[in-house]
Amino acid sequence: MPPKFKYPLSIFILLCFSSCFQIIEEINLTKAGSGTVNLTLNLSASKTKVASVMLMDSIQGYKVPSKQKIQKELDEVVAYLKKSPGISNVQKKVDFENYIVSVSFAFKDITNINNVNQDVLKKLKIKGASNSSYTYNPKIQAFRRSYQHTKDAVAQYNKLKPEVKKIFKDASYTSIYRFEQNIASSENTLAKISKSKKAVMLNTGVLGLINGKTDVSNNITLAK
Amino acid sequence: MNSLIKCLIAVFLTGMTFTSYAQDLVHKIPSDALAVATFKGKNLTELMSLTEFNKSFTGKKILSKFSRKADKPYSSVDDLGFNLASSFYYYNQSNDSVTYNCFLSPVKNAAQVDALYTWGDYKFNQKGNIRSYYNSDSTEVAHWNNEMFLFVVAIEKKDYFSRPEVMERFGLTEDYPASEVVADTAIAVDASEDVPADSIAVESAVVESEDVVTDTALVDSTMVDDDSSNSFFKNQQQKKSIIAAWTQHMVDEFFAGTNKTSILNNNDFLKSQDAQAEATIWVSGIDKLFNSYMPAIPYLKGMSFFNGYGSGNAKFYLEDKSIRLTTSMTFSDEIAAVFKRVHQRKLNKRFLKYVNEDRMIGYMGYALDTKAYLEEYPKLMSKIYGSVYAEEIGMAADLLSLLLDEEAIGKVVKGDALFIFNGLMQNEVSYKSYEYNEDNFESKEVMKTKKETLPDFLLMISSEDTRLIDKLIAYGAKKDLVKKRAGYYELSIPKSPLSLYFTIKDQIIFFTTSITEIDDIAANSYVAKISGKHKKTLLSSNYSAYFSGKKLAGKIPSEEFGGAKKLEKANRVLNSLGDIYLNSNPIKGNVVSGQVSMDIPANQPNALKYLFSLIEDATK
Repeated sequence: MPPKFKYPLSIFILLCFSSCFQIIEEINLTKAGSGTVNLTLNLSASKTKVASVMLMDSIQGYKVPSKQKIQKELDEVVAYLKKSPGISNVQKKVDFENYIVSVSFAFKDITNINNVNQDVLKKLKIKGASNSSYTYNPKIQAFRRSYQHTKDAVAQYNKLKPEVKKIFKDASYTSIYRFEQNIASSENTLAKISKSKKAVMLNTGVLGLINGKTDVSNNITLAK
Repeated sequence: MNSLIKCLIAVFLTGMTFTSYAQDLVHKIPSDALAVATFKGKNLTELMSLTEFNKSFTGKKILSKFSRKADKPYSSVDDLGFNLASSFYYYNQSNDSVTYNCFLSPVKNAAQVDALYTWGDYKFNQKGNIRSYYNSDSTEVAHWNNEMFLFVVAIEKKDYFSRPEVMERFGLTEDYPASEVVADTAIAVDASEDVPADSIAVESAVVESEDVVTDTALVDSTMVDDDSSNSFFKNQQQKKSIIAAWTQHMVDEFFAGTNKTSILNNNDFLKSQDAQAEATIWVSGIDKLFNSYMPAIPYLKGMSFFNGYGSGNAKFYLEDKSIRLTTSMTFSDEIAAVFKRVHQRKLNKRFLKYVNEDRMIGYMGYALDTKAYLEEYPKLMSKIYGSVYAEEIGMAADLLSLLLDEEAIGKVVKGDALFIFNGLMQNEVSYKSYEYNEDNFESKEVMKTKKETLPDFLLMISSEDTRLIDKLIAYGAKKDLVKKRAGYYELSIPKSPLSLYFTIKDQIIFFTTSITEIDDIAANSYVAKISGKHKKTLLSSNYSAYFSGKKLAGKIPSEEFGGAKKLEKANRVLNSLGDIYLNSNPIKGNVVSGQVSMDIPANQPNALKYLFSLIEDATK
């Protein structure tokens, strides 16, 4: 088991002082169960605010991280992923012009990303998604995205200062799962199936995830 | 109890009735009061009749609150038992060991006041015509008779009770003893001991008012557990019982009328009073009052933040056309001399050539003499820290003088500036987002745009010597941070939608967010428009400010409020606000004063009725 992260990513301090942000999770899954993941955090819509926050040393009692500190912590994430079993081809992209960070990697088996995801999401302090996991059964060609809301997410959210709470109002979460096979069915009514029938997308607000009003779990059955 | 007191305070502040007879209790306030606040019921009733008040939103609220527990509903605040046409007072009385916060009200009908307590389930007792209410530890006391109502909240002075000789005298122990200490909890004190005068008086009261002690459930020393682990609670109880006895003594003296020296013998207090003001606050000495409120912090010992500050007052006026608050503060000769030197600069007259009041929503102007300020600053610091760090401050002052050329700095930044707020503007900013094709939800980076709200302002600063700024501009241009335009410069701020333009002209440094404005300034085509009122306010004051809510209404983008409804409410409040002015007056003798006022809308009969309409509006 790779070591757990000790510290929260400093970029999420910036997230707290942006005006809105996007979290995008993309998974491409092969028939055999291996695949790639791409996680993106996009603060571009609040770049002017983030840029001005980054000029400061601290804001409302939070230390504002430097570019170097953000880079260093992302390097730690990459190092952690590289050590994780079944994970390879780890890459990170940081765009300080638009404040977009993305991490991508390949996995041998979908279960490899469960542990990683939990840690990364914990590190991102997105506790609402901490009871989240993926399973894929190649025999019956079924992909399952499990998600269970935790009350801790609301408790953590309620602890935030009102001005920080505001940023979650317009924040969005997008998940895209792409398959080699055609999709026979997708249970979550919030999810859309692409024209090619090989991808499912779900786009929702982060606030719904925090307060438990939105359920992102899904059972996707693939054509045999 | 809190809700009753809150309601009573609400009545103090809105006190009004038809029945008016002279019953001013000011003579009851002792001459050693550190602060006195006066609320004039008579002035308020002249602005709004009792009938009008009872029908108002606030009046109805107060009446319904009192009616809830009463056996018959209140129809008028006049039935609460207070003489609302007379003056209500708050005063602070302090000595080395205790602070008393006192609320003094004129009573019209004691039976009606009794009813308030009865219906509120607050038990009181009566001896003769004096009624007494005590809280659980008797540090909050209310006494009333047919003439007056006195409510006292007594607070101990922690540093007094931590003095070794005081602790020994009152049998107090360390709150958290390091080793077991056997404490004697008896209050009894040998009167022959050398103790402060106020304490002797109080200790005798402990003996004299024994019956009160029993009545009010004061802590009996025998009840206190001897276990040293309970030292903290034991000490607290002991201190509260001492404070309670002192308070009782103070209130008894107050009602017995034995205290002959009234605040009316204090000339400074008398001078601070204005019959026209609806409310006044007078403070005998900021230093004394500050020390009485502030806990004794060891780090601050010996420092005197208000050294040289004398008495001060604030007066609140509700007039036909405006609401006005005036403040004034008397300083020692030394500090007043500093103010006179620093305040000798006036605002640059040439600033007015760039003011257009049709455009502006507000302004802030200030004028200080930088050279005088830099020279006087070390002296001010030594007044604060002098007694503790005299040598260090002296050296720091010399070093500062050595390093700074006050005269040269005073030429670069003379010390006067005018900030004009012209409103809000929206600039478009682009950002990166993602779009997904319908075919397989493949993502594609796209640029989107959104509007950001920014302030629109003009800042002017006087400068005689712009050589340093010229060098800064040259450096900025070299680093690509400053771009030269026709007669002005543009400051580029990375990733910011805010454009900032500046230029130097007529010994004025101009900063603005508006390209039109800087174009006009550079091309000598700025059209100024300023009324006599603004001209006078700006030029005759060292500090001045103006804000027009009405002019801002309708100019705030709805995005900033997160919805049309909230925006509508904000606009309604802004529209109902009159123009707000703030200005300082020239120093007179040793007195520094200033005022803030708000015009009231023309359709309002007077300021009090206007304030009530605002309260009603805000709750809609």
